[in-house]
Amino acid sequence: MATELEELIDFLTAPSPPVKKAAVGIVRGLTGSEDGLHSLSNYANTVLSSLSRLLSDEKEVSEPAAEALVNLSQNAGLAAKMVEMGMIKIAMDLLYKPGSSITRLLVMLLVNLTQLDDGISSLLQIGDDKMQGLYVMKLVRSFCRSSETSDDPFDHVGSILVNISKKEEGRKMLLDPKRGLLKQIIRQFDSSSPLRKKGVSGTIRNCCFEAENQLQNLLLISEFLWPALLLPVAGNKIYSEQDTSKMPLELGSALSIDREPVKDPEIRVQALEAIYLIALQEAGRRALWSVNGPRILQVGYEDEEDPKVMEAYEQIGSLLVHGNETEEPSTNTSK
Amino acid sequence: MALWMEAGSEPKTETEIADLQAIAALKESTALELKENGNELVKKGKKHYQEAIDCYSRAIDQKALNDQDTSVLYSNRAHVNLLLGNFRRAFNDSQHAIKLSPANIKAYYRAAKACLSLNLLSEAKSYCESGIEKDPSNEELKKLAKQIDLKKMEQEHREAQVSKALAEAKELVSAIEDRRLKLGNAMYRELTGLRKPVLDKNGILHWPVLLLYAEVMSSDFIEDFCETDMFSAHLDIISVYHFESCPPLPWDEKNHYSREAIELYYEAGSGICLSKTKILRYLLEGTAAANVESIGEEEKDAADGYPHGNSAGSSKWVKVNEKRTLHDVLKEPNFIIPMIPVFYVVSKRSAFYKDFITGKWTPSV
Repeated sequence: MATELEELIDFLTAPSPPVKKAAVGIVRGLTGSEDGLHSLSNYANTVLSSLSRLLSDEKEVSEPAAEALVNLSQNAGLAAKMVEMGMIKIAMDLLYKPGSSITRLLVMLLVNLTQLDDGISSLLQIGDDKMQGLYVMKLVRSFCRSSETSDDPFDHVGSILVNISKKEEGRKMLLDPKRGLLKQIIRQFDSSSPLRKKGVSGTIRNCCFEAENQLQNLLLISEFLWPALLLPVAGNKIYSEQDTSKMPLELGSALSIDREPVKDPEIRVQALEAIYLIALQEAGRRALWSVNGPRILQVGYEDEEDPKVMEAYEQIGSLLVHGNETEEPSTNTSK
Repeated sequence: MALWMEAGSEPKTETEIADLQAIAALKESTALELKENGNELVKKGKKHYQEAIDCYSRAIDQKALNDQDTSVLYSNRAHVNLLLGNFRRAFNDSQHAIKLSPANIKAYYRAAKACLSLNLLSEAKSYCESGIEKDPSNEELKKLAKQIDLKKMEQEHREAQVSKALAEAKELVSAIEDRRLKLGNAMYRELTGLRKPVLDKNGILHWPVLLLYAEVMSSDFIEDFCETDMFSAHLDIISVYHFESCPPLPWDEKNHYSREAIELYYEAGSGICLSKTKILRYLLEGTAAANVESIGEEEKDAADGYPHGNSAGSSKWVKVNEKRTLHDVLKEPNFIIPMIPVFYVVSKRSAFYKDFITGKWTPSV
């Protein structure tokens, strides 16, 4: 079959549109199977560059081409090749071309490519002094705006953010107060889309690994951070006036009414892990106490049944018990 | 002076030769006599030091002695100059002495002493070491070396303190800048004194906060208000100290200032935003680095003396929602923090409240 495959790959760059369309359809089909992937990867360089060129064609060609690339990018070796040949830039350029019909697919491609370190570096534009962070800013903005549209093509951006926040440079960029990216991202936590919620939750949790060095960049957006972290683990009950009076408005009012529980245990675990990382720092514990956080965790724990989540509650619990003695905000007053 | 005749030169008579020899001898004895006089004068005390110096100087001018003896003259003069506090001259004399006679230990000692007084610590040390090299058992030089080391350590310690104070203050300015806070001139200095915000090891700011009871212009301090704390928490604590204890605030006879009745306000509006440099200067006051001259003012400060807010120049009172954190309130765009945040406390129940709210009251500066 080798020569037939070679011919097929050649057809991807044929001048005739119906030939191209047929070829790319077949290639897309091949990428859906292990064998097909394997055969195609022998011609990786040609296939990848031909497919990427097809991305700027009309929808009938670009869509299957994009799907093929998404499938191929699930293979680490092929993904690495794609990053090497500048696929990230190609995808970002196409993503923001007006009239693009393959937005969601391109985003999914970026999700796969940012599983790799090199992919992350490429997306962060680390080497480029002037443009550094431009791609990320654009993606975050699209992520926040697209929730208002009906089809929400950028909903997978959350997963990209989870990937880039695995790397220190990614976390630093998201936490940078001048860019204000984390603040925008956290606000998406309220979304009803489970994919979005998960993306936001995972990103915040990863960013909290910087708590040791950049605690202020986390705590200074506490107005948004605490609701995102504490509400999912606050249990199901309505809180008493006595409890909520010690909380800031956004927390207190949310906990005084009936609310939808967060069903995904992984999100609850991530929230608790994030709180744990913050509570490792003295100022973090202080801030948690100042919003009556421990009380919320106590009440939330009572309703919890998932063993993994319970373990996460307990981890914080012992940290707070063995933390510093002076937990309440101390004040010296003098006249 | 040639004492024999060159072939073909004028023969000098025996008397001429004798005369020249006599003059040389005279100069030599004069110089020696002057030296003795000088030494005596020094022993006599302070009033005679200048005279002693004159003697030594005249002795030197005779130019009649050999290098070794002249070195002694210079080194003696250096000694008196040290006693008179003429350290630069003492240094020059000592150097001269050393040049003429590198074995003159006293000259090294005096050179080192002069350098020490001129705060030229490395030079002092090196003269000391040269002297000790030539006379390893010299106790005085060893003592002097220890003195110099001590001074060097003190100087380095001071410099380290200055650097540290400067670095800390710069970090503070940087933290303030990152939070986009606006700082203005300090108010109520008589109350706030040298208090300053502090950055803790987690990079979180702690502020001293001044509370003014507007009605009577009495004041209170919250010494450590962490920027992530809520106002309500601190007001709760204060109310335990003041309002609920017996007796309540001494001037609040009718007990208007109970926990639920008090409200907090800050003054918003006009004022001048200080530049980074000015803020840095304020933060350095009272620290080791208070007198440092250049603190990196090369970059042109954009906000220098930048007036902000209502052009009408009127300020207004903004109520503080006590469920907010200090940081949230401080970063309000219309809040120009007077170095140390000032909040005005009023009671809803007091008659004063109406005057305050309607802007009829202004703080007397």
